[in-house]
Amino acid sequence: MRRPLLILSIAVFGSCVLFRQTLERDPVTHVLLLLPALAVAGWLMAVSLGRHRLRLREADANALTLLGVFAILFWMLPRYIDASLTNPLVEAAKFISVPLCIGAVLAVSWKATHPFLRGFLKANALSMLGVLAFLYIHAPVRICNSYLEVDQQRLGYGFLFVALALSLVWAVPLFFPADGGATPNKHLSGRATA
Amino acid sequence: MAKAKIRELFPVCAALALGIGVLWLATDGFRALTEEGARRLHAAKSKPKLPAFVLEDMNGDVLRLGPDSGKDGKTTLVTFIYTTCPTLCQAGGGDIAKLRDRLREMRLDGGVRLLSVSFDPVRDHPQQLRLYAEQHGADGAVWTIARPSAEALGSVIDGFGVRVIPDGWGGYQHNSALHVVDGEGRLTGIFDTDDIDGVLNAVRDGT
Amino acid sequence: MADVKAEPHTGAVKFSMLIAGAVFALMMVIGLVMRAAQGNLIELEAPFFYQLLSVHGAGMVGTAGLSGAAVMWYFVGRYVPLSARMYWAFIALFLLGVVFILTAIFIGRYGGGWTFLFPLPAISGEAWEPWAAALFMLGYVSIGVGFLLYHLAVGYPIMKHYGGFARALGWHVGFGGADPADAPPPAIVAAAAVTIFNTIGIIVGAAVLVASLVHLLVPGFAVDALLAKNMIFFFGHVFINASIYMAVIAVYEIVPEYTGRPWKTSRVFVLAWTAILLFVMAVYPHHLLQDVVMPPWALVLGQVVSYLSGIPLLAVTAFSLCVYLHGSKMRWDLASSLLVLAVAGWSVGTVPAIIDGMISVNKIMHNTQWVPGHFHIYLLLGVVAMSFGFMAWLVRGTKASESGMSGLDRMAFGAYALGAAGFALMFLISGAMSVPRRWAVHLPEWVLQDRIATAFAVLVVVSTLVFVIKYAVRLGRAPG
Repeated sequence: MRRPLLILSIAVFGSCVLFRQTLERDPVTHVLLLLPALAVAGWLMAVSLGRHRLRLREADANALTLLGVFAILFWMLPRYIDASLTNPLVEAAKFISVPLCIGAVLAVSWKATHPFLRGFLKANALSMLGVLAFLYIHAPVRICNSYLEVDQQRLGYGFLFVALALSLVWAVPLFFPADGGATPNKHLSGRATA
Repeated sequence: MAKAKIRELFPVCAALALGIGVLWLATDGFRALTEEGARRLHAAKSKPKLPAFVLEDMNGDVLRLGPDSGKDGKTTLVTFIYTTCPTLCQAGGGDIAKLRDRLREMRLDGGVRLLSVSFDPVRDHPQQLRLYAEQHGADGAVWTIARPSAEALGSVIDGFGVRVIPDGWGGYQHNSALHVVDGEGRLTGIFDTDDIDGVLNAVRDGT
Repeated sequence: MADVKAEPHTGAVKFSMLIAGAVFALMMVIGLVMRAAQGNLIELEAPFFYQLLSVHGAGMVGTAGLSGAAVMWYFVGRYVPLSARMYWAFIALFLLGVVFILTAIFIGRYGGGWTFLFPLPAISGEAWEPWAAALFMLGYVSIGVGFLLYHLAVGYPIMKHYGGFARALGWHVGFGGADPADAPPPAIVAAAAVTIFNTIGIIVGAAVLVASLVHLLVPGFAVDALLAKNMIFFFGHVFINASIYMAVIAVYEIVPEYTGRPWKTSRVFVLAWTAILLFVMAVYPHHLLQDVVMPPWALVLGQVVSYLSGIPLLAVTAFSLCVYLHGSKMRWDLASSLLVLAVAGWSVGTVPAIIDGMISVNKIMHNTQWVPGHFHIYLLLGVVAMSFGFMAWLVRGTKASESGMSGLDRMAFGAYALGAAGFALMFLISGAMSVPRRWAVHLPEWVLQDRIATAFAVLVVVSTLVFVIKYAVRLGRAPG
């Protein structure tokens, strides 16, 4: 067990509970701050409790990652964002399921997931954030009954910035891997044409 | 070999089935992704009975809505407004006027009444309601404007499942929708205010 | 993965090229039919013409992508081990998309063009049902997902083996001063660049496709038309360019077998491919030069990058090819002839492209047949010729008696070169005479060019049939 991480996790979760109403007043902080913070709390919890002791098979990791993605999709539904504001049961479900089903699950499964699935999900995440931005900025329809249309548009721009930020965060290591590309497989790179 | 293949594929297939199943259930078969969609689907499917409401109309008379009001067996088409609204309620008023004209053309106006309910009873006193009525041609014959008492406001809004939030400029944002209440006080359908054909179909089916 | 040997997946690639060749031939027949209809040689209902136009566009672009992908898969497979399962998943998704598109067009009567420009698919004037437009777009989504898997399957092993995309692109040689001998082979540099820009294109394309689908299902969700157009042309431009830049790998890998001189990665080669990587993505506004609401800087960018785009191609591929060919004992057969023709055609095609990329010209020419003239040079004399050259090389004879060019080869090659050049030239001439493009019915004074073009198209179709049938016959003769 890594105690500092556990304390950090509890602190993040506690702040989410404490500042719940402030964060939920604005859809931008609700969706782009509160929900990710809850997931981070779950992730930290899983790391601190020793996720490395779980030796997942790749097939199981793939399945767990998909479950985590479905949990993200569920909490992207405007219907349940609205419901969590009026129904205490849904709100409680949010505070439990986001840390556990998204944060903790992905903390355990992500690294063991097949790289093709990871890449596929990342590419799709960027596309779908783009779609959300597109729809939220331009839709003349109110998507959440609890929030104003102008706030919806701000959230749309928020999705766009998140997509751009994620594309940088994800792309840079592809160009410059952490090991600096110091040991490329020379025996394959130098082969002359037949 | 085959067993290993199943062992490899099963978890992912199970996760996909579970995930899609949960999303299917959570969205009523991908039909309702938003609260508004869920509200409309619920009304159309289970036709919930509304509690009884007592309103005050633009002439200061008592107007009953809900189970007690069904004596005349009329279908009531209810929209929610606030008369100082600069945008949706004015456009919505135009939609309702159009709807009233269509009802008259189709000789359905005998069994249907139109009702615009203000959710801002403090500012929208009867005199203010009359002003809105005059602007939009609501003469009380088919189309009436009314307000609940300040105490009853919450129960009316919750009863219909309407959400009203301040827009930060002294006004409100709210569902711009038309609620079909049948003669027995059941909420049988919710439509966009400009979906006149949808409303007319619902009225014809109901009466 | 490290214990798997790098080896081209010959069977899968040969199968892909068989599909590609057959679809190319079929789409050419459709093109011939459209030109004949414009020339009043046959009768076509106008709505059917637009269905044919849509299937011709989507089919040609998709098949160009497929054949480029097959070429790249084959040659990248020489250097890094690739996952055959991912390739078959790509082929399966591609074919599923083809089924969707054909159903949408021939059963659903979709005729909104391959560019599915918003809001045309949604407002057909009852020429087709919304489901047909939705199915057409779902076909694109399926093909896009297939290509995403394909690029993951190519990109990930390249990244692992060469230590990141920076090294795979040869930046340590191009910018870091490392010895060019340390650079990855040209095929890998090209594959890395194409994988990067095509993945970005697909991500943008998927976003606009899904947004358009949402609009079809829930019309309340309007889409911003200008943004949608920008995204569509970014995606479309990148995708069709990717198909050419993938196919050119065949030139880098095959031509050395004929000249006896290996094609090496040089510093200039690295810089050129990095420039291509940027230009392909930055140049797309030249498709929107007529959209007066576009910000001027974007249009200027489109024109300037249009000028620049030709340079890396001409400087590296065409110039190098001339150097390699010059003074070498080049062995000419159908494969090498088609590959050299393709580079020549592609280089010549930059000229009308650059002319159309000028804002002042574009305002007048963009809706004329000048533009199909330009891209038919690129495609018919570029990527399609490369694909046919690759196919001929895949089934090349190993016996000495089969090493040269047969009489039939000579005739087919000549007919193809003449037919394609003449066909494209008729478009350019018509464009210069202000004949509009995408019109089902032509005025009497345009009919002559249409008829001449039809004759050239017959040459192209016949020679293509020779290429494809010969390929199929030889495939059957020498399995594997």
